[in-house]
Amino acid sequence: MDVLSLRSSSSLSMSKPFESHGLPLSSKQHRRPSSVKFGSVSCRATTLTQENLYKILSVSPGSATMDEIKRAYRSMALQYHPDVCHDPSMKEESTRMFVQLNAAYETLSNPRLREQYDSELGLRSEVMSVSSDHERWRSVSVSSEHERWESRFQEQVIELKTRSRRRMGQKGGSSGSRMRAPNMRDRN
Amino acid sequence: MVEPAYTVTSDSETTGEEKSSTFPEIAIGIDIGTSQCSVAVWNGSQVELLKNTRNQKIMKSYVTFKDNIPSGGVSSQLSHEDEMLSGATIFNMKRLIGRVDTDPVVHACKNLPFLVQTLDIGVRPFIAALVNNMWRSTTPEEVLAIFLVELRAMAEAQLKRRIRNVVLTVPVSFSRFQLTRIERACAMAGLHVLRLMPEPTAVALLYGQQQQQTSHENMGSGTEKIALIFSMGAGYCDVAVTATAGGVSQIKALAGSTIGGEDLLQNMMHHLLPNSENLFKNHGVKEIKQMGLLRVATQDAIRQLSSQTIVQVDVDLGDGLKICKAVNREEFEEVNRKVFEKCESLIIQCLQDAKVEVEEVNDVIIVGGCSYIPRVKNLVTNVCKGKELYKGMNPLEAAVCGAAVEGAIASGVNDPFGNLDLLTIQATPLAIGIRADGNKFVPVIPRDTTMPARKELVFTTTHDNQTEALILVYEGEGEKAEENHLLGYFKIMGIPAAPKGVPEINVCMDIDAANVLRVLAGVVMPGSRQPAIPVMEVRMPTVDDGHGWCAEALNRTYGATLDLVTLQKKA
Repeated sequence: MDVLSLRSSSSLSMSKPFESHGLPLSSKQHRRPSSVKFGSVSCRATTLTQENLYKILSVSPGSATMDEIKRAYRSMALQYHPDVCHDPSMKEESTRMFVQLNAAYETLSNPRLREQYDSELGLRSEVMSVSSDHERWRSVSVSSEHERWESRFQEQVIELKTRSRRRMGQKGGSSGSRMRAPNMRDRN
Repeated sequence: MVEPAYTVTSDSETTGEEKSSTFPEIAIGIDIGTSQCSVAVWNGSQVELLKNTRNQKIMKSYVTFKDNIPSGGVSSQLSHEDEMLSGATIFNMKRLIGRVDTDPVVHACKNLPFLVQTLDIGVRPFIAALVNNMWRSTTPEEVLAIFLVELRAMAEAQLKRRIRNVVLTVPVSFSRFQLTRIERACAMAGLHVLRLMPEPTAVALLYGQQQQQTSHENMGSGTEKIALIFSMGAGYCDVAVTATAGGVSQIKALAGSTIGGEDLLQNMMHHLLPNSENLFKNHGVKEIKQMGLLRVATQDAIRQLSSQTIVQVDVDLGDGLKICKAVNREEFEEVNRKVFEKCESLIIQCLQDAKVEVEEVNDVIIVGGCSYIPRVKNLVTNVCKGKELYKGMNPLEAAVCGAAVEGAIASGVNDPFGNLDLLTIQATPLAIGIRADGNKFVPVIPRDTTMPARKELVFTTTHDNQTEALILVYEGEGEKAEENHLLGYFKIMGIPAAPKGVPEINVCMDIDAANVLRVLAGVVMPGSRQPAIPVMEVRMPTVDDGHGWCAEALNRTYGATLDLVTLQKKA
């Protein structure tokens, strides 16, 4: 009877094996260079640090209003959200970039966090002095102020390089509205 | 009408692309409510609701097992509403799916005509339908699958093409385990789930489309509108607060609870016949009939109280048992005061989580079958300081229309007029975390985190020379671990021996674009750059059945020997 066969299918799912596996080596290799390179990019830190979260959203550090930040976030979301990315091979990359976009927006859209972040920008000389203590597996949620900055900086360096590479490929401008055009074309 | 063939695909089926198709298949939207369901699809320029052979857009959610051949509310027509309550028909499957037998919601279903039995040990309940004087067992997944097969057959007949991809609406409060059961039922019916959308999120998408069409403003610009979406059906109450502008809808907060019209009904039944639970617990044929009569009469009364202030209830249950009582609206509202208070608290909680003041809300949207109840409308209006309700949506169709729009977008449909230039930025309805700090639930991904998401926390050992750690992954809002849904578990082994508090155990949780949750765990010793042992990556949920029992067994077996605590680091 059909109901019986339905039931047997249900029982199949009960015996599903425990699913687990280690991270692929390529993922580890991808992570290692970033921590190794940290020292070599320190001379650029003073320039990149100044604009990092603001640059992700493509807004001006000092003068951006809340409305501008919100508008920029929506505009960037329309480029990077995996739902608008129809190329399967780009899905993982766009997911990663969207996660970073959210992290930037989460900070800049909260007046208290933004003020805290702005003051952190003034601490970069102090942070540089302890950069040698950097370790992987630091957590964002429970780390201290300078460790939080360090973790974000790592993410942003990687993200900025990726975006720079992409921008070269697209020959687009730095503003979000111009970068949208290629994405819209992809959707057709 | 010929009964559709019930074909069940195997667990491991991987269907290849149909070579004959020249354009992508547009996913349909399905809204299976606890008591009613509907199907919709994007027809090239707008959303169209599909109808069954009786020209109905809204159909009853049930499957009857009479005459040995199960049939659902899509194609069959019960000769009388009493027949739904004869014991041969199973309904409320959405309320039962993915629940264990210790769940109060399951216990409330024991008052229904079909058989629900519990052992109260954290396993799935026993469910059966009365067929030819025999109780025949089934599961909510099977019932739902049978129903979905009929929905699929109806949709294929209407659209004259094969249907495989669907977007389904789900309650906000559904756990990831329950979502896997929904997907399982869809797979049994030969359907592939593109997306499971919380019901108010589907409504938010429809609202975003309406705003887009109204304003015709540029992409990425335009005034931001805050909407409060309240959805209450027969089984669930959900709330969302969204920010919408330029076609982008941001879900700022979600809140949900398992309260709905069914609770209102059962409370009223108990009010009319206080001893009904004891009277009906034997589930004999006579008791089932009495239960059914009482249920129909009470449903009628509640329905009438939406338009009248007083209603007469006259019903003869047989055996000298008669109910003859006038019930007024105030009485109905008092009997259900706790339900309405819970609805109100959900709205307040959702606004707080979204960090939105009531005054900032531009539109108040109320949908679902219970939105016709005056008290429900009043409580939403009162919380929102008397703001007028949004008029642009049909309360019974909004969720399925939103699901259909999502189906079109997820299928890659391009609309030349820009009606599908929409994006919904979703949020996690429940927190996800692990057991730590002495049986506490420690969220790693908090509630209302924007999705996709990736968050991590660092933990450490609780015993000197502890070399193993048990990672128990939970989902929910309770402060203690056991108050939440157990999603899965794994063990970290080979932690280097060290005094307690020294190893750094990083737990990372990643939710991808398809809402797949992965938990990663690694161990690093202080001062080292390399993981001490290979990193573990586990896709959740891993617990397939008996998750209530499973949590208890793990606790009994391991106790606190493999526990972790949150690592408090100081600069």
